[in-house]
Amino acid sequence: MVKNSIVNAVLDEALRTGGDFSELYLQDTESNTMTMIDGKVENANYKRNVGAGVRVLKGTRSAYAYSADTSEAALIACAKAAASALKGEREFEAKSICVDRIGESFAKIPFSEINNAKRIELLRKGTAAAKAHSEEITQVVANYMDFDHRTWVYNSEGVHAEDRRPRVRTAVQAVAMANGEAQTGTCSPGYGMGFEAYNEKINIEEVGREAAKTAVTMLHAPECPAGTVPVVIDGGFGGVILHEACVHGLEATSVGRGNSVFCGKLGQQIASPIVNAVDDGTLPGEWGSMHYDDEGNPAQCNHLIENGILKTYLVDILGSRLMNHPVTGSGRRQDYTYAPTSRMTNTFFAPGQDDEEEMLRTMGEGLFAAKMGGGSVNPLTGEFNFAVSEGYWVRDGKILCPVRGATLIGKGAEVLMKIDRIGRKMWMAPGMCGSLSGSIPTNVGQPRIRVSEIVVGGKGGAL
Amino acid sequence: MMTFEQFKDECFRIALEKGCESAEVYAISSDGFSVNILMGEIAKYSIERNNGLNLRVLFNGKSGYAYTEVFEDAESLVDHAIDNAKAIENTDANPMQGECEYPEIEEKPNPVVEMSEDEKIALAMNLEKDTLAFDDRVNRTRFCSVDTGVSSTHIHNTLGLHADSEDKYSYAVIMPILRQGEEENSSFAFKFGPDITEYNDIIKESVDNALMQFNAKTVDSGEYRVLLRNDAAGSLLQAFSSMFFAGSVQKGLSLLAGKLGEQVANPAITIIDDPFEKDNPRKFDAEGVPSVVTTVVENGVLKSYLYNLKTALKDGVVSTSNAGRAGVAAPVETAPSNFYIMKGEKSYDKLVSELDHGLIITELSGLHAGLNPVSGDFSLIAKGLLVDKGTILRSVDQITCAGNFLTMMKNIIDIGSDLRFGPPGFGRVGSPSLLIDKLIISGK
Repeated sequence: MVKNSIVNAVLDEALRTGGDFSELYLQDTESNTMTMIDGKVENANYKRNVGAGVRVLKGTRSAYAYSADTSEAALIACAKAAASALKGEREFEAKSICVDRIGESFAKIPFSEINNAKRIELLRKGTAAAKAHSEEITQVVANYMDFDHRTWVYNSEGVHAEDRRPRVRTAVQAVAMANGEAQTGTCSPGYGMGFEAYNEKINIEEVGREAAKTAVTMLHAPECPAGTVPVVIDGGFGGVILHEACVHGLEATSVGRGNSVFCGKLGQQIASPIVNAVDDGTLPGEWGSMHYDDEGNPAQCNHLIENGILKTYLVDILGSRLMNHPVTGSGRRQDYTYAPTSRMTNTFFAPGQDDEEEMLRTMGEGLFAAKMGGGSVNPLTGEFNFAVSEGYWVRDGKILCPVRGATLIGKGAEVLMKIDRIGRKMWMAPGMCGSLSGSIPTNVGQPRIRVSEIVVGGKGGAL
Repeated sequence: MMTFEQFKDECFRIALEKGCESAEVYAISSDGFSVNILMGEIAKYSIERNNGLNLRVLFNGKSGYAYTEVFEDAESLVDHAIDNAKAIENTDANPMQGECEYPEIEEKPNPVVEMSEDEKIALAMNLEKDTLAFDDRVNRTRFCSVDTGVSSTHIHNTLGLHADSEDKYSYAVIMPILRQGEEENSSFAFKFGPDITEYNDIIKESVDNALMQFNAKTVDSGEYRVLLRNDAAGSLLQAFSSMFFAGSVQKGLSLLAGKLGEQVANPAITIIDDPFEKDNPRKFDAEGVPSVVTTVVENGVLKSYLYNLKTALKDGVVSTSNAGRAGVAAPVETAPSNFYIMKGEKSYDKLVSELDHGLIITELSGLHAGLNPVSGDFSLIAKGLLVDKGTILRSVDQITCAGNFLTMMKNIIDIGSDLRFGPPGFGRVGSPSLLIDKLIISGK
């Protein structure tokens, strides 16, 4: 995107005031989005984000300057601005680019070959399937998104890394209404692929039906009772519990500053011995995947927890300096307006050996969380919360009825120890994760699991 | 690369040539500075230059959007926008604001923006130093930042609209971590505007809020009388503000549909949308419509929804100047300006004594996930204080607080005099503390 001679001048200018590492990040992203409401296209949008950022490190100090302008003059201005944070004399020179890492796009059908008619056809099918599910579906909102995200990273250690990350996602939200009450259901698959995802992975009609099924089920569900009970969490987006309750606390952003309950716990038992957890950015075609991270390091498969023992943190370049820990290919950022930091990719509990039906049958009274919504965590204390978007009350090991409005809360370190079953079949689901370096695509995943007790919030009485 | 004016003119010329009825650009350029200090060192230092332009064209009565940050190739941008307009199937009319006059807004000077970088860094350093010295139990900070900048907005169109504004912003955020024995807790406080150099109030607020959390325990599950503190009440109102948008009503996504003129809240509740509110005034909304004040709920009766030009035309009313965009690249939607529940007469302390026996909720989290603006239901992780006989007994955590927003609005018993706004953003929302008859608490 930029000539090597300019790159070298920018990286070298950035080191003029005593920095020991400089980095140039360039980004060019094209995206198309479309919204269909009630079967009619409501909005169509095209977006191109282009810009650059220069980062300078000196020890654990960091300075960043960015600009939407990527001309040579603007890049040099960014380098000067970032360097101005340090007031010293030059100590290092930028090496010439000597390592080339090129990540090829995973897309078989690039989005440039897709027109709006194709996008409309998809949304139309998803909407129709949701509407056809039940007469109680009063409204369907269908969203289409495609992204072609291209990045170029250069640093003063001679590394040049390019990546191209296509992404597709479709979200159908169905609203079911009756007697002045409204409930919603959402289904929103996403992959790190081109448009072929709709041939290979996503059945758009199934997406519409799933959303409608949740909405109608919840419309006829009583409110979830409140209390502390055993909870079975189904696979897929259920893995948000690992994401919130644990892995945010393994990111260098928290650990590097001593602000995580998992500080100093490498090699120690932090979870029940049946727990294995992985963050794997290398899986082809997955929502959270990449070839090289936003610091130019290769994506990795990181085994976070093995048999309950903490094996590694998720570490970016600055984090590696704070923690004296190797980088793990986890440096990510939303776009050029953010400096990178340690983030997740595709994060999941690995498959276990327990029977999916047995864990319900032997749980006594509690909650089966079939579908999870989003959540959040305070890494300092490990306190997490997330919403259950489709839940069922279980009594004597049998499903009694669906329940609405449930929230799960707890402390990550405690919940990890209380996992007493892990099923055999793992699958993942996409989400957007927000943190210091912006909003990025991450997958969460797990097989069906059971937690022996957890606080369930709801506003219902006894069932 | 072309200048903004050149690129805009080029887009307009090509759009009209290609048969668009009208064309509009919404452009923001900004220069910002941000510094974050951790333990006396610069942990983040950021210089920010943003520049983006969103083109909206009207083609065969439909509007289409295209956004870019590269002021080259206007024709390709226009083609993308026309292509997107052609895709629209919704048959609603898409009005654009024409030439108009704007009310004068008094521009307050912001000396913090004019400070040198070194002075801003020193300000952040002092904020951290004074926080660490404020109380023995402050162990370190998790975040201590000063942000400043100048942001220019231009909304111009081929109908003669020429809306320009410049915003000089500054804010400080402090997040101390307190330690007592083995237990650590943190809280944060922020301040916007020119007086962030007077930061002692946010130090005290953040430290007090963190101290309040020590030795917390859960409570028994059940129905509780609740005093929702002003900041928690404001965050809940913000999360449910889309219920009041005409767009949500028209699309069947709000339970307030058909409720105009009806009692939707306790008669003590009045909700106002005031674009002129003194700490965050604006001349026009995201469509360039001149600002007006709207009474949304008066004495508990729903008086108006919040409208942009399109949703107003559909209901046969005028826009309430509530067009909003979730960022410069986003299409026109609806957003509040300064949207708040009017304050009552009782102090916070008086409300605590009137709570008598129950819970003060001081913090609600997970608002992006644990609530549903369509159904009004919420079930959120909360922190608070247990109160008996009007006296605070102890701290409470690991509970959830659940209810329905519309039911809660009817179950409000009393309102505090302590109106407080949240941070500006895609709408700025405020509330006083609210005493509520009952909410469901889940604990042990």
